Amino acid sequence: MKRLYIILFCFLIMAQASAQDKKRKPSKAYNKQSNENEKFLDKQWWLGFKAGTNLSNPHVLKTYSVFSPTNYSPEESGKKYEHFAQLGAQATIEASFYFKGFYFSLQPTYQHSRFMYTNTYSWTDDEVPTNSLQLNYEQEQKVDHFIIPFLIKYDFAGSKLRPYVQIGAYSAILINANKFVTISGVDNASGGANEFTDPTIIVGAKDLFAKSSWGLIGGAGLNYTLGNVRLNLDAQYKYGMSNITSTKNRNSSDSLSGVGDILDDMTLDNLSLSIGCLFPMRFLANGFKSSDR
Amino acid sequence: MFKRFYTLLLFTFVVLSCSEESDPKFDSENFTTIFDNYKFSIAYKPIDMLQTSDGGYIVLGSRKLQDSNYSGIYLLKADKNGNFVKELEVDDNYVNPVGHFTQIGETYNFFCMQYPSDSLKANIASVDVNIENITFTPVSSSTPDGINPTYPSVASLVDNSFLLQCYDHLNRQTALLVVNPTSGAVSAGKAFTLGVGAADNVDEAVQNSFLYAGRRFPYEVGKVGGLYFFNGFFDFNFSLVFTDLNADDPNGFVFGQQPDFNGGFSSVVSLGASKFAASTFFFGENYIMPNALIQTSGPSSMTPDELPGLSFPELVTNANVKILRSTINNKSVLIYGSDTKTKEIGLYFYDEATGEFLGSRYLGFSNPFEIAGIINTSDGGIAVCGTTYVAGRFPRICIFKLSKEEIAQNVK
Repeated sequence: MKRLYIILFCFLIMAQASAQDKKRKPSKAYNKQSNENEKFLDKQWWLGFKAGTNLSNPHVLKTYSVFSPTNYSPEESGKKYEHFAQLGAQATIEASFYFKGFYFSLQPTYQHSRFMYTNTYSWTDDEVPTNSLQLNYEQEQKVDHFIIPFLIKYDFAGSKLRPYVQIGAYSAILINANKFVTISGVDNASGGANEFTDPTIIVGAKDLFAKSSWGLIGGAGLNYTLGNVRLNLDAQYKYGMSNITSTKNRNSSDSLSGVGDILDDMTLDNLSLSIGCLFPMRFLANGFKSSDR
Repeated sequence: MFKRFYTLLLFTFVVLSCSEESDPKFDSENFTTIFDNYKFSIAYKPIDMLQTSDGGYIVLGSRKLQDSNYSGIYLLKADKNGNFVKELEVDDNYVNPVGHFTQIGETYNFFCMQYPSDSLKANIASVDVNIENITFTPVSSSTPDGINPTYPSVASLVDNSFLLQCYDHLNRQTALLVVNPTSGAVSAGKAFTLGVGAADNVDEAVQNSFLYAGRRFPYEVGKVGGLYFFNGFFDFNFSLVFTDLNADDPNGFVFGQQPDFNGGFSSVVSLGASKFAASTFFFGENYIMPNALIQTSGPSSMTPDELPGLSFPELVTNANVKILRSTINNKSVLIYGSDTKTKEIGLYFYDEATGEFLGSRYLGFSNPFEIAGIINTSDGGIAVCGTTYVAGRFPRICIFKLSKEEIAQNVK
């Protein structure tokens, strides 16, 4: 049912774009040359590159744990996620087709995203209450995706500075993933308070993540015209719609299950900020002179 | 415009079709669970495990008792996904739980002994699927040759009766009894000497093996053809003994090694006739014999010269070895499970027909892991039960569940 709504949503976007087309009627005031330029500028291809940084926000769909407590609540040792905390990076090639105020944009992106959660486990001695051990697990995920977003951008009227809004959907293909597990703690059962941090365990985790996922994108940005080139500042929020964890391979890493870690079912949101530039692919005259509407 | 419309629609469908689907089946086919307890001093040791009729699991374990050197009885129920459901610490008057944990109808059965009352007599303990009700049936004292059914060591269901090995501490002899699972009546049995005139050190070793911190010996029982066998103490040694339960002397026996019981079988499973899947320990070394021919009549020896096997230096000294007969990729496979020096649980796969090595798999990482039991599961996979030492110090029961597809990847 959820997917049906998504499809309907896409229909509505296209219907709205179609309606905009019909409202724009050709002006009779232009001379022949102006009409030709106008007609020419109704369409334009833009090609560019942008790169920047991103922050991830995991949403848990269903929680899993290797530890199954027999005499305390699972929530006590449950995972605590950090939101928008670890910086990632992305690089994008943008190819956009401009048609009467709208851009239909394909933006293949290499995205490196990071997110982290922590667990805390405690053991105490009922007979000697000062005897205790606390372990803190920090589990960081570094996930690389090849993302294929399809966006519709609406360019507000302007000359040099042209703000825009955008909406679309993306498909993400997993390229690589690693997990970094750091265990630290306080041991009060060895004759004194002993704080320790074990060396970080690094485990290849590609099999633990879904090979592909998808989501929706919303965002806004600014284009600044500099000669023929547009400098671009772009902000996107990717809203994950599908589980990024491999449900089948969740337990396939003996290394991780050995230290008590297992991935939850989750979607991953991502807030990205990029800067870049766009080049027009169609020109009005020789000398690579272009013009904006 | 419609062309673009269709393109977008196609794109949407492609994207949707690629998303990861959650399937509850995956959660039950593969999981790892560590059953944790926040108490510092809690120490549960798993002994054996069964899959229950509801798809869940019951782990039979032992626990340390405050007022006794014997181990108490601990039962843990997990659901089909390995999540903790319930635990049961059984009355301290019943101690020394031993495998094999056996399902009969809707009851799950094992042997234990009464302590301190009723002279350490063996009892059949039966628990229901939800480990809510547990009943005890004492083994009848009406036995052949006046055998005292004390100190149960191990039992298996053979021909719809329990074949029980126990230690008659009053007469200092190892006994093999055929016990009715319902009434505890003994229909047949025979006892065998520990060694005339030199039973003291054997007696001490046997009795220590029943204590919580004592050395655990790999007791075993079974049947091959018309003969019963037990792996236990006999004539100064830890030996494999064959008997028809009629003759006073064994039909055959494979001697273990003195001193200090440094040689013997660490596991033995009959594959029919004189063919066995077995493993031995010999002065610290471990040998695996997936296709052993063991003579069931007359005396013989288990030394590597006389009964050669595959040396496994990666296993710990006198390793605990479990053997499971399974079917993987439509092939009869023997799965050996044991404890490695790297503190992992090692699984070794062999072709049952030829003894050919098919592959291996190691379970565990970072914290130490030790095997307790390995079973086939109803979905065609296997489950391994063991102990892990969380934070390197707290012994906790763990279960590894491996799917049919996953173990198939470990077999050539």
